Amino acid sequence: MPKARTLDKRRASIRNIRKITRTMELIANGRFRKALDRATAATGYAWRLAQLVATLVESGTTVRHPLLAATPTTPRSCALLVLTANRGMCGGFNAGVIRLALEHYTQLSWRCPQIAVDVSGKRGIAALKQRNLAPAQTFTQFEDRPAYHAVQTLADDYMGRFLRGEIQRLDVVYTRYFSSTRQEAVVETLLPLASLGESDAPDHGTSPAGTLVEVLPSADSILEEVVPACFRIRLFKCFLDAAASEHIARMVAMKAATENADEIIRHLSMTYNRARQAQITGEIMEIIGGVEALQS
Amino acid sequence: MIPRLTCILVTPEHTVVEAEADFVALPLDDGELGVAPRRAPLIGRLGFGQVRVRVGRKETRYYVDAGFVQIADNVVYVLTNRALPVEAVNRAAAEQQLEAARKLPLVTPQQESARDRALRQARAQLHAARRA
Repeated sequence: MPKARTLDKRRASIRNIRKITRTMELIANGRFRKALDRATAATGYAWRLAQLVATLVESGTTVRHPLLAATPTTPRSCALLVLTANRGMCGGFNAGVIRLALEHYTQLSWRCPQIAVDVSGKRGIAALKQRNLAPAQTFTQFEDRPAYHAVQTLADDYMGRFLRGEIQRLDVVYTRYFSSTRQEAVVETLLPLASLGESDAPDHGTSPAGTLVEVLPSADSILEEVVPACFRIRLFKCFLDAAASEHIARMVAMKAATENADEIIRHLSMTYNRARQAQITGEIMEIIGGVEALQS
Repeated sequence: MIPRLTCILVTPEHTVVEAEADFVALPLDDGELGVAPRRAPLIGRLGFGQVRVRVGRKETRYYVDAGFVQIADNVVYVLTNRALPVEAVNRAAAEQQLEAARKLPLVTPQQESARDRALRQARAQLHAARRA
């Protein structure tokens, strides 16, 4: 049995670790709430935009835009954007995204000769480097609070490349936030845009049908601007979902770590008490032995 | 009784304003549009400029960065990339942006429209900063 003193030292160090994991859990919790609020705000915006498009379509406008063009069955070059975290300590969050990204990359490489992989987050960059996959672009500036204007610049860059024909397809691999208990790594094709509406947005009631709507300056001019806006908000939503999922993953991982630390502390305390008792018993036996030796 | 307007100004990041108003002026792409209560339903494209929200005699101005507006049932929804009170517009940054926009290349039609857009954005910001 190890000495009581070493056991006590180990217990103290585990207590320190527990303090750290507990704090990280609380921080992640707070950040998650904020990230969720931002995601909700973006959903509200996206929903409004979808309503606007719906009203336009109802009033008899045909939606046509180069960003919506049907994709050729064999795209010549694609872009793959992978959204990971800058930091670890969040369970399987990064691993899940990277695994899916690599699977998708392999599948895509059968059909598409040229794939540019863009990665956001230090973890993803490191993981791809390990697999000898050189990313075309890397971003570490998005952190856990992606700003809209930063995402907008990125979105405009992709749109420009798509419109110039440099890429025929843009896929984003990210962790989608479904609910506080369910987040999944998913692949979403953002370019060409499949639809303008949020297909799974909650239905808050339809817009008043049959009302005549004035369109200024013209439906075409609005469409010209609405389609890019839809793309930007979609991309922004991916970033926000990834951020919210990262925090919740970290929260869960740190909660488990704290519980494990508790368990180890309990176990060590028991062993420590036993070791101490054994030591005391041993000392008493020695004293008794000594006394008896003196008496005889 | 004349109903009041509800003006809702949203960006992808948050809702900037949600307030009642007597009158709202919007910077459409091709000129300003005033909206009074009971306005007919409308969808419009916004340019760079200022949204003025008037309540009684008090007028509040917000700088908006393009976007859309939808008006229905006395509710004015303004969807924009960026919206901030004119007092918060950074004048120095706007001047820098104007300088940078002037130096943009002017060869292809796309470049021309991009430059034009950047110039209009910078000028609208400067204008907003001067009014603050």
